[in-house]
Amino acid sequence: MTVKMNAKMTAGIRGGLVLAAALLLAIVLSLMIGQIRLSVSDLWTGLLTGKGPGALTLRVLRGPGVVTAIGAGAALGASGAIFQILLRNPLAAPDVMGFTSGAGLAVVCGVLAGTTLPMPLLSAAGGLAAACAVAILAIKRDGTQVPITLILVGLGIGFLTTAGNSFIVTRLPPEQAAEAQRWLTGSLAARDWGHAAQVFGCGAVLAVILAIQVRALGLLELGDDLANGLGLRSNRARLQLAGTGVLLAATGVAVAGPVPFIALMAGPLGMRVTGATQPGGRIISAAVTGAIITVLADLAARSIVPGLQLPAGVMTGIFGAPYLLWLLSREMDAGDI
Amino acid sequence: MRAMAVAALALVFAAVLTLTVGVREGGFALLWQALTAFDPTDPAHIAIHSIRMPRLIAGLIAGAALGMAGTIMQAITRNPLADPGILGINAGAAFAVVIGSLIAGRADNGLMAALAFPGAAAAAVAVFALGGGLKGDAGPVRLTLAGVALSAMLLSFVSAIILARNEALEVFRFWVTGSLAQAGMRPLGYMAVAAVFGSALAIAIAPRIEALSLGSALARGLGTNPGRIQFGALVAVTALTGAAVGVAGPVAFLGLLVPRLARRVGGHVLRRELIASAILGAAILLFADTIGRLVTPPAEIRVGTMTALIGAPMFIWMARRLRAGAGA
Repeated sequence: MTVKMNAKMTAGIRGGLVLAAALLLAIVLSLMIGQIRLSVSDLWTGLLTGKGPGALTLRVLRGPGVVTAIGAGAALGASGAIFQILLRNPLAAPDVMGFTSGAGLAVVCGVLAGTTLPMPLLSAAGGLAAACAVAILAIKRDGTQVPITLILVGLGIGFLTTAGNSFIVTRLPPEQAAEAQRWLTGSLAARDWGHAAQVFGCGAVLAVILAIQVRALGLLELGDDLANGLGLRSNRARLQLAGTGVLLAATGVAVAGPVPFIALMAGPLGMRVTGATQPGGRIISAAVTGAIITVLADLAARSIVPGLQLPAGVMTGIFGAPYLLWLLSREMDAGDI
Repeated sequence: MRAMAVAALALVFAAVLTLTVGVREGGFALLWQALTAFDPTDPAHIAIHSIRMPRLIAGLIAGAALGMAGTIMQAITRNPLADPGILGINAGAAFAVVIGSLIAGRADNGLMAALAFPGAAAAAVAVFALGGGLKGDAGPVRLTLAGVALSAMLLSFVSAIILARNEALEVFRFWVTGSLAQAGMRPLGYMAVAAVFGSALAIAIAPRIEALSLGSALARGLGTNPGRIQFGALVAVTALTGAAVGVAGPVAFLGLLVPRLARRVGGHVLRRELIASAILGAAILLFADTIGRLVTPPAEIRVGTMTALIGAPMFIWMARRLRAGAGA
C-alpha cells in the first residue's frame, strides 16, 4: 500500500514539475516574442538590473499582460475543475454553461451604463445571475436536476447572453463597438499592473475560501448518502462550492473577458499530466494548466499575424472546440452521454 | 388550410412592413407610388428600390430556406433541437466563403458565395459523423454538442480572418451573426435559384422521409432506399442553408423555431409542413428584421441577433423537455 502510494505520489510530483516547467517556458516565450524580439539574456539583465529593453518589456510592455493572463487562466481553470468535479461531467464548465458570457454581459452593461462599480463586482453579479438562471431552469418537472440538462440549459443561456452582447455592441459607435467586441471575445491586450493586482487579489481570497471548502468537495464525490452520513449538509455544501466556482470564473472574466474553453480544457488536461485524483490536486493542476493555456493563447493571438493583435479568445475558440469534439466522441464511446 | 392562409397573410404583412418601415419614414402611399410610378430622382423611391427591395428578397430567400432546412433536419434526425445554426452548418458555409475570399484575396461577393454550398455540405457531414450518426446513435444531445463545438471553432476562424484582414465591423457582423443590412451587395439571383432547387428537392422527397421515420426496415419494405433519401436530404439542406448564408450570413435559430409552428399549420404531413415552414420562416425573419430596425434607431439590430434573442429561450424550453434518456 505504501509503496503504491509512494509511486503515485512520485508520479504526481513529476507531473507537477512538468506543469511548472511548462508554465515557466510559456511565460519566458511570451515575454520574449513580440514586435521586438528579446533574448533570454535581455530578460535576465532586465530582471536583475532594471535597465535595458528587458526591463521595459517586463515592467510595461509584456509583463503586466502575462501576469494578468496567468491569474485569469488559473481562476478560470480552477473554476472549471470545481464544476467538473461537482457535476461529474467533463463538459460541465462555466464557459460551456454560459456563466462566463453572463459575467461578460454584466460588465459591458455596467461599463456602458457608466457605473463606478468595480469590474469584478459586475462580473460576479452577471456570473451568479447566469448560474442561478441555469440552475433554476434546469429543474425538471419532477424536481430533479440532471447534469446533461444543466449543460444544455447552460448552452441556451450562453446563446441568450451572447445575443444580448451583440445587441449591446450594435448600439455603440463604431470605435467603441470594435473595442467591446474584442473584449467580449476575450482579450489580454493592453493590460496593466492594476489588472494583474486585481485578478491575483480576488483570486487569493477565493483560493482561501476554496481551501476550506475542498474537504466538502471530496466528501460529495463519495455520493450524497455517504457525505450526509459523515456529517456534511450536501446541498448547502454544493451551493457554496458552486458559488466559489462562479466567483472564480467571474474573477477571470473581469480582467480577460469571457475567453472561451479555458475552463473546459484546463481540468482534464491538467489531470492527465499530474494524474491527480483528489479534488485538491485536480483543482491545482487545472489552475496551472489554465494559466499555461491562457499565456500561450495570448502569445499566439498577438504573434500569429505580424503587426496585428487578435483577441486571445479567437485562439482558444479555434483550439478549444476540437478538444470539445474529441471529448464528446470519447464520452460517447464510454456511454456517458 | 385556414392556418396556411393566416400564415400567408402574415408573410404579406411582414413584406409590406419591410418595404415601408425604415429610417426614412415611408407609409403605404409612398410604397405604392414607388412601385407603380418609380421616380429615380426621389430619394425615398430610391431607398425602397435599392435598399429595402433587396432586403425583402434576401429575407424571403433566407427565411424560407432556413425554415425548410430546419424542418427537413428535424424530420430526418428526429431531433427537436436540429437547426442549421445550432448544428454548425451555417458556420461551415460562412467559413468556406470567408476562407475562399482570403485565399483569392478578393471581396466575398458574387461567385465566392458559391463556396457556401461545399462548406455547408462538409459541415453537415462532419457534424453528423461527430455526433455519432455513423454508428446510428446520433441523439439530440450529442448532435447539439457536436454542432455547438464545430460552430464555435469555425466562427472563431471566421472572426480571426476578418479581424486579421482589418475589415469593417459590418463585415464581421454579417459573417458571425447574420444580417440583412447589406442585402443589395449579395448575389441574390444565384442564391434564389439554389433555394428554389433545394425546396423542390425537399418537397419531392418529403413522403420518402416520412416513410424513413417509420424505421429503416419498414421504409425498405415500402420501396425506399434509406441511404439515397438521406443523401437527398443532405443535398436539400445544403442547397437551402448555402443559399440562406449566401444572402444573410449565418442566421441561427430560425430552423429551431419554425418547424414546431409549421407542424401546427401543416398538420403532420411533411409536404405541407415544408410549405408552411417556408412561409413562416420568411415571415418570422422579416418581422424580426423589422423589429431590429425599429428598436434602436438609427442603429439597427442585426437579424441574427434578433432570431437568437427569440430562439435561445425556445432552445432552453426544448432542452428542458428532452427526456433524460432521449438519445442522451
